[in-house]
Amino acid sequence: MEKETYIKFVIPAVVVLVAIIGITILSGLASDNPDGFEWAVFDFAGVAEPECGFPGIFSFLGEGPLVDVLTGAVGIVIVLFIGLLIFKVTSRKE
Amino acid sequence: MHVPDGIIPLWLLLILYVVSGLFLAFSIKRINRRFDDKLVPYMGVLAAVVFAAQLVNFPVPPFSSGHLVGSTLLAVMVGPFAGIVIMALVLFIQALYGDGGLLSYGLNLFNMGVFSCFFGWAASLLLFKGMRKAMNDERAVTIGTSIAAFITTVVAAFVLGLELLSVSGFNELALAAITGVHLIIGVGEAILTSAILLYFVRAKPRLISFLKDSDVQEIAEVIETDWATSQEGTKVVAK
Repeated sequence: MEKETYIKFVIPAVVVLVAIIGITILSGLASDNPDGFEWAVFDFAGVAEPECGFPGIFSFLGEGPLVDVLTGAVGIVIVLFIGLLIFKVTSRKE
Repeated sequence: MHVPDGIIPLWLLLILYVVSGLFLAFSIKRINRRFDDKLVPYMGVLAAVVFAAQLVNFPVPPFSSGHLVGSTLLAVMVGPFAGIVIMALVLFIQALYGDGGLLSYGLNLFNMGVFSCFFGWAASLLLFKGMRKAMNDERAVTIGTSIAAFITTVVAAFVLGLELLSVSGFNELALAAITGVHLIIGVGEAILTSAILLYFVRAKPRLISFLKDSDVQEIAEVIETDWATSQEGTKVVAK
């Protein structure tokens, strides 16, 4: 039953998610504008943008749509696996 | 709404680290052994859905953008406690990606996880209870949750604005601006929430805690009841 759920639901769901973000980012549909927080704080209020801070584990790959899709896909798989692990540990065995 | 490091004062970040940490620990304790292991794959996919949805920003013309937060959606589907656990995971991976600071993680988890999950859950429940008198449960949960997602986004932005008042240069006018721009972002949140929820209502209705005969009612309980002996107790969730 569980194996069937993974084959029929989990794997197709991950493929669909990666496809959706891939198509959205590569076709330029995703916005590059600052988000609501960045706009209100940095553009509207004029608060100085911090220059230090952790740049992210994939910052060495640089920037660009292809990198966003690749790292996004990796992130989806990581979140899925850690999520499965957390909920497996906290679930009740029937 | 992901706050990077170096903006909010350290004292506030530390307070919210402790508050969010306590809520996360309590949430894990509350969900522990309260759901069947056959639900595990669906919970993992829900986490992946929220992470993926947060990757892509939709435009807010002419100058800004926004993305789904997903807290209200999660709270309605699997309850606020499991919602907080999923948001904690998603926000942690995003912090490792450089989206939201590591020091600001507690603040981001408070705004988008703890506060938004509980507020979104309560608002959705109120709307669901009111709307189900006029329509079927499936339609009531979809419309009610979407409206609650809009309200939650705006209120969470206001809360973030209050936190930002501790920052030099951020004043009441900027508080109005961050709340105002989230009025538009909230519409996007509502549309995406209704689209995702509509899929689950049609394909996996048993994964939605508000609906009758749901498989996740026990994990979604907010008021503690003895599930083994009292099926009636689950009514605190949806009735």
